[in-house]
Amino acid sequence: MVNEANYCKVCVAPAHAVNMTLDEDNVCSACRVAEQFEQLSDDHWARRKKRFERLVESIKSQNEGDYDCLIPVSGGKDSYYQIHKMATEYGLKPLLVTYHGNNYLPEGDYNRDRMRHVFDADHLMVGPSVSVLKKMNRLGFKMMGDMNWHAHCGIFTVPIQVAVRYKIPLIIWGETAWDISGMYDPDDFVEFSAQMRHDNALRGYEWYDFLDDEQDPLSSKDLNWAKYPSDEEILEVGVRGIYVGNFFKWDPNAHTQLVKDQYGWKEKEEPFERTYRKMSNLDDRYENGIHDLLKFVKFGYGRATDHASKDIRTGYMTRDEGIEMVRNYDHVVSSDLYYWLDYVDMTEDEFWRIADGFRDPRVWWIEDGQWHKYNLWGGSSAYGKVYLPESEWAKYLRKEPA
Amino acid sequence: MLKKRVIPVLLLRNGYLVQSKKFSKYQNIGNAIWAVRRMSEWGADELIYLDITQDGQYDAKRDDLRHGNPTSIEAIVREMSQSAFMPMTVGGGIRTLLDIEKRLQWGADKVSLNTLLAEAPNLVEEAAKEFGSQCIVASIDSKRVDGQAIAFTHGGQTSTEWTTLDWAKRAEQLGCGEVLLNDIDADGQQTGYNIDLIAEVTQALSIPVIALGGAGEWFDFEDVLSDTQASAVAAANLFHYRDQSVYLAKKHLFDSGFAVRKPELQPFITK
Repeated sequence: MVNEANYCKVCVAPAHAVNMTLDEDNVCSACRVAEQFEQLSDDHWARRKKRFERLVESIKSQNEGDYDCLIPVSGGKDSYYQIHKMATEYGLKPLLVTYHGNNYLPEGDYNRDRMRHVFDADHLMVGPSVSVLKKMNRLGFKMMGDMNWHAHCGIFTVPIQVAVRYKIPLIIWGETAWDISGMYDPDDFVEFSAQMRHDNALRGYEWYDFLDDEQDPLSSKDLNWAKYPSDEEILEVGVRGIYVGNFFKWDPNAHTQLVKDQYGWKEKEEPFERTYRKMSNLDDRYENGIHDLLKFVKFGYGRATDHASKDIRTGYMTRDEGIEMVRNYDHVVSSDLYYWLDYVDMTEDEFWRIADGFRDPRVWWIEDGQWHKYNLWGGSSAYGKVYLPESEWAKYLRKEPA
Repeated sequence: MLKKRVIPVLLLRNGYLVQSKKFSKYQNIGNAIWAVRRMSEWGADELIYLDITQDGQYDAKRDDLRHGNPTSIEAIVREMSQSAFMPMTVGGGIRTLLDIEKRLQWGADKVSLNTLLAEAPNLVEEAAKEFGSQCIVASIDSKRVDGQAIAFTHGGQTSTEWTTLDWAKRAEQLGCGEVLLNDIDADGQQTGYNIDLIAEVTQALSIPVIALGGAGEWFDFEDVLSDTQASAVAAANLFHYRDQSVYLAKKHLFDSGFAVRKPELQPFITK
């Protein structure tokens, strides 16, 4: 069972976060990896830079296409930083590739559309129709409690498809995405893989799991954008995805400042409802909204926990400040819920009935008709009404408090 | 001439696929069953699957996954064997003949025994007779103590106080058909294999030895195949760092003239 003792003592991450482990000192695997990155001296970073340059050269030497590299981009601060690195600093000609899932915020539209002009680069955008997207939103939500599955899939499929078709072997990703749970160490130099996509990003689902629903019928051709190339096609071109964050110090706060100053990148004008950061996830109105609310519903923590944990690790925040952020944001039901319900034509009651079905019984219990869980700051609290039919309550009933 | 084998090792701990560093640090890296499928697609010659769970708990702690969350070793091995095109060795937590029989029933082709070699050598002998030597692999974890390679059991925690060489010879005498030789000091360090130890053990034994521990790049496999009589090179962490890894490793060795099977992709047929 998950209680107060199950949190990392350095950051604010819960031990039951996906793929995370706590060591014997109650420090989480993500903090341990961050420590290793912090301990890297200038000399280490210089060696990593050299390693990056050699690797880029060796992959580029197989290049038969017209572009030096492909950069998967949303138009966010990380995209700008990746292009800054490759185009401005290294003088390479990238092809920018975006999956457009129709979830952009206005600031995100602005940044995305300016990007190709600012960097003098070609930009290719692939997106399904709104009709397909609405079906994917509904199906993803019902199947796995995630309306944004299509976005994870598009982001990790379309760039590889384009790399294969345009014969561009070098794909430049940004942040080492596994740092959030400390899956690998800096010296593992992990590359992008189909396993990482399928297993971590797509939770084991593929396009064919979305076919032939009675209410939301989709055909194989509706989902062409979701089909990952075969190993044979990938090896034919020699496509490899490497992460800038493995070779150059990754500091999102510093990068945001750089891309604002140098390229006029804009952060969100209004604050988000579910996190204090204004620079993340402008490409997707639900990423910091109800997509993330569902993470809280499932596992009892949300993006404010992730953002605060990262900011604690990089020294921008104390743990006490982090706890305040979690208290203020993690549980908030954000107003994009109503935008989404209208988009997919669903009632709020139906939303909560389905969402409740994904609550993790390791985290949540039912008491007095309310959902309860333990808190990072101690004790437990109620977090709203139970919509789940009473026939499904059994696994959530406990003799609490212990 | 018998081809040299390239063997990925999957480590499972508490329901997660993990990577291991020096037998003391473990990082969760995802789902073991999908990894088996990838190893099959890349044409791995064999698969070794070691369950290093200490407390018998299997729970990947989430219920929103396509492939479910199997909560017993039986469910996991059964599901894995569905995706394994190649011979599969299963090890970890085996203490009785019944444990061996079950794993073979669930889909394993061989089992590996480690702690049992110390706790009940008579059972190892019996197992080799009952199931055949070809299906009993001695898993030996070596660690340097005062300059000497010593065999350890219980997940590297307990010294046998035997040298690794003598321990390996004893395993052969007990009827084991193969040795999986790992080096705790090199585990996850990417600094290369313990070539001296592998050379020493392979020279003394007449049964095949699989070398494990320390691979950091494909060239490390070359060292084992050039400088020792090992029958197979194995690695765990390294094969998770890059896509198509096993295929690329085999291709590297094949193209460099080593006696490995021709690398071939074996894609799963999906809808």
